[in-house]
Amino acid sequence: MIEDTHLIELKGVSRTFGTTQALKDINLYIRKREFVTLLGPSGCGKTTMLRIIGGFEYADEGQVLFEGKDIANVPPYKRRINTVFQKYALFTHLNVYDNIAFGLTLKKMPKDEIARRVGRMLRLVKMEGYEKRGVDSLSGGQQQRIAIARALVNEPEVLLLDEPLGALDLKLRREMQLELKSMQQQLGITFIYVTHDQEEALTMSDTVVVMNHGCIQQIGDPKRIYDEPKNAFVADFIGESNIISGVMIRDELCEMFGQEFPCVDEGFAPNEPVDIVVRPEDVMVVGEDVGQLTGEVASVIFKGVHYEMMIRTEAFAWKVHSTTMQPVGTRVGLTIVPFNIHIMHKAGGQ
Amino acid sequence: MRKTLRGVYLGLILFFLYSPIAVMIVLSFNASRSRAKWGGFTFDWYVRLTQRSDILQALWVTLTVAVIATVLATIIGTGAAIGIQAMKKRPASLILKVSYLPMTMPDIVTGVSLMLMFVFVNVPLGYWTMVMAHITFDTPYVLFSVLPKLRQTDSNLYEAALDLGCTPMQAVRKVILPEIMPGVITGALLSFTMSLDDFIISYFTSYTDKNLSMVIYSAARKGIEPSIYALSTIMFLVVLALLIVINKRGALENVS
Amino acid sequence: MKRSWFAYPYSLWMVIFTIAPMIFVVYFALTDTSGALSLSNMAAVGQETYLKILWRSLYLALICTVICLLLGYPAAYFLASKDFNKNQTLFVLILLPMWMNFLLRTYAMMSLMENQGIINTLLKAMGLEPVRMIGTEGAVLVGMVYNFLPFMVLPVHTSLKKMDQRVIEAAEDLGANPAQVFRRVTLPLSMPGVISGVTMVFMPAVTTFAISRLLGSGNFMMFGDLIDKQFLELNNWHFGSSLSLIMMALIIISISLLNKADPKGEGSAI
Repeated sequence: MIEDTHLIELKGVSRTFGTTQALKDINLYIRKREFVTLLGPSGCGKTTMLRIIGGFEYADEGQVLFEGKDIANVPPYKRRINTVFQKYALFTHLNVYDNIAFGLTLKKMPKDEIARRVGRMLRLVKMEGYEKRGVDSLSGGQQQRIAIARALVNEPEVLLLDEPLGALDLKLRREMQLELKSMQQQLGITFIYVTHDQEEALTMSDTVVVMNHGCIQQIGDPKRIYDEPKNAFVADFIGESNIISGVMIRDELCEMFGQEFPCVDEGFAPNEPVDIVVRPEDVMVVGEDVGQLTGEVASVIFKGVHYEMMIRTEAFAWKVHSTTMQPVGTRVGLTIVPFNIHIMHKAGGQ
Repeated sequence: MRKTLRGVYLGLILFFLYSPIAVMIVLSFNASRSRAKWGGFTFDWYVRLTQRSDILQALWVTLTVAVIATVLATIIGTGAAIGIQAMKKRPASLILKVSYLPMTMPDIVTGVSLMLMFVFVNVPLGYWTMVMAHITFDTPYVLFSVLPKLRQTDSNLYEAALDLGCTPMQAVRKVILPEIMPGVITGALLSFTMSLDDFIISYFTSYTDKNLSMVIYSAARKGIEPSIYALSTIMFLVVLALLIVINKRGALENVS
Repeated sequence: MKRSWFAYPYSLWMVIFTIAPMIFVVYFALTDTSGALSLSNMAAVGQETYLKILWRSLYLALICTVICLLLGYPAAYFLASKDFNKNQTLFVLILLPMWMNFLLRTYAMMSLMENQGIINTLLKAMGLEPVRMIGTEGAVLVGMVYNFLPFMVLPVHTSLKKMDQRVIEAAEDLGANPAQVFRRVTLPLSMPGVISGVTMVFMPAVTTFAISRLLGSGNFMMFGDLIDKQFLELNNWHFGSSLSLIMMALIIISISLLNKADPKGEGSAI
């Protein structure tokens, strides 16, 4: 269970490289036993944030607290934090056993104790029998498991994972996602996970932190992030979206393409320009005469579970997911129920 | 047909490259002092070599200078590579540019410039000035053998070591060094070969102590004595052996 | 303790033993024996005798480079071709002399070309007139080509070997015959190697020293010999430094010109 103590806390953390500001005034806390994912496109600052927590990078401004204490001056080798690096960073001059035992050997732990712990780790990552193998001879997925074992054997408070599944193929990645999640629950360790893959973030995390341009865009649990994106960036980054520039006429009524649509959002200024977000699966295809909008099917792609269609109305090309196919050229009507219209402040005006 | 023609061409090139060497080796076993007549097989010139105290002395100088220079160049150069890898782009590229200088400058300019400096600061030209000069031209070879190896290794390796509890010193000793060892050894072998082989820079930076190349040079100017052929044959075989070792390590490809 | 500190000893060494000596050369080149600033030594380089030597060095180095290119390119091309690219020994054999002491190689050449040497003995045995070789410009040139040929083969071979074989197949696929493939694809792609080879031959060839003295019997003084003479025979360090400075300038200019031709340094052999 996630405990309600703040294990790690970032307060007003900023970091600038040359002229680019990688992190801008980040405030975030991470609770004990939480699985937190930092999600964002490349260059959004997520890796920098992870490296600051790991101690490989420092903050220009702000504080990083670990159990309430500032750890700015604690070098990485004295932090109770371990890292699984992007390309694993395994030591190719050592075999599997010695790679995993590396941290324990440094602590001058008795040999039999090391052997016991390494053995337990190998079981945990399902790599028993590979002790004497060179790490170069392992497949990507196996190297990945060794990298995780090498970090976890030190029994850290926090495990940092920097896009650890990036180099694996899709099927293996899905498997490892589930395994990582169950390992985390089994061991009760806090995981901080960096990825640019939104599906991965939604599958594994207790909390997702969406980042862009060095700023946190939204923090929340996966369902909330998906269902209630706070702005157009989050909506676009998490899943696919139709994003339309519109106006909020008054509470529960918005306007797009000069046409009024009832919605459920409130609390905007009268006639405030807003971004209106509609998920493709929320656009319903109906008969031409009964839709709120009418358009023509421009393209159809079969995606396995559903069809993805582009439906061109007078002013906008809608991306629509539907289980029934309409041939290209068909005139159709489109309807969106008020609950599925998400209104967001224009970017920049949070 | 095409292959035969090409083979013949390569054969001719090899003939051009090796006939002088072959002649030299044959003459080192020639009992006759004449270069044009075969007077029977003999080891006399090799025996005579052992009686030439100037050559034995030069051999000693050559070997010890090469060993000392190689050890120091390897330490300094490997450290340099590790440091440069961790530096920001600008200072790193500045150091690399300066490192190219001794490699691109003609040996004669390097030799003359070092000589000028040693004389100007009143260091007598001898054994130790030669050692310093050798370290100077050896170190970049170590640097440029180690650097590619370092670049091949995972960029997070050092951090992974810190992460698992190494101090920076331990991280270099226990992780970085073992990972780049092949490059370090290649660099050491290269600089040893360069040192053994050097003539011009040694010639300008040492006056009292002569290495083998310097002895060969003065011998060649005086007139050829077959014991020099014997010496050349031995040196050729040593370099050949060293190169076979280096090549086994795939170093020729790394360097080129 | 930062990792970049590991480079400090090296940086210090380079400052003392590479940069400082260069400054000494500049200092001596621009002063006279009394230590006063003077351009007289630099100006002296412009005298006809010295210009002639400089010209001869450049001219011989250029011819040597052209011959090495003409001999070396086909050798590298054949070695990299399908016919021989499996044959590692052949490649090593061609490079091996590069690692051998150049004095020994020159010495071996001497024994071949001497008046009473092997070649002349063979000629006599065949009933032909002996030829005077040693002490001619030709002998110096042969000695230079012999010394520097492997330095041309290595970088050209490297650049040919690095070339993606599919590019050639693509050219064939697009209708190029073997001659066109070579002229339009292989040759342009191997240019970085050629440039690097030209550098590696031309630079040491200009400053070659001892080869001319041993094979040219001292009849053909080259720039390197001239510098050597100023320092070790005439003790004229200021003039010697001026000559070295000119040499440094020539080398730096040539390298930057060549860098322009190969900006990415793809063909660099080291």
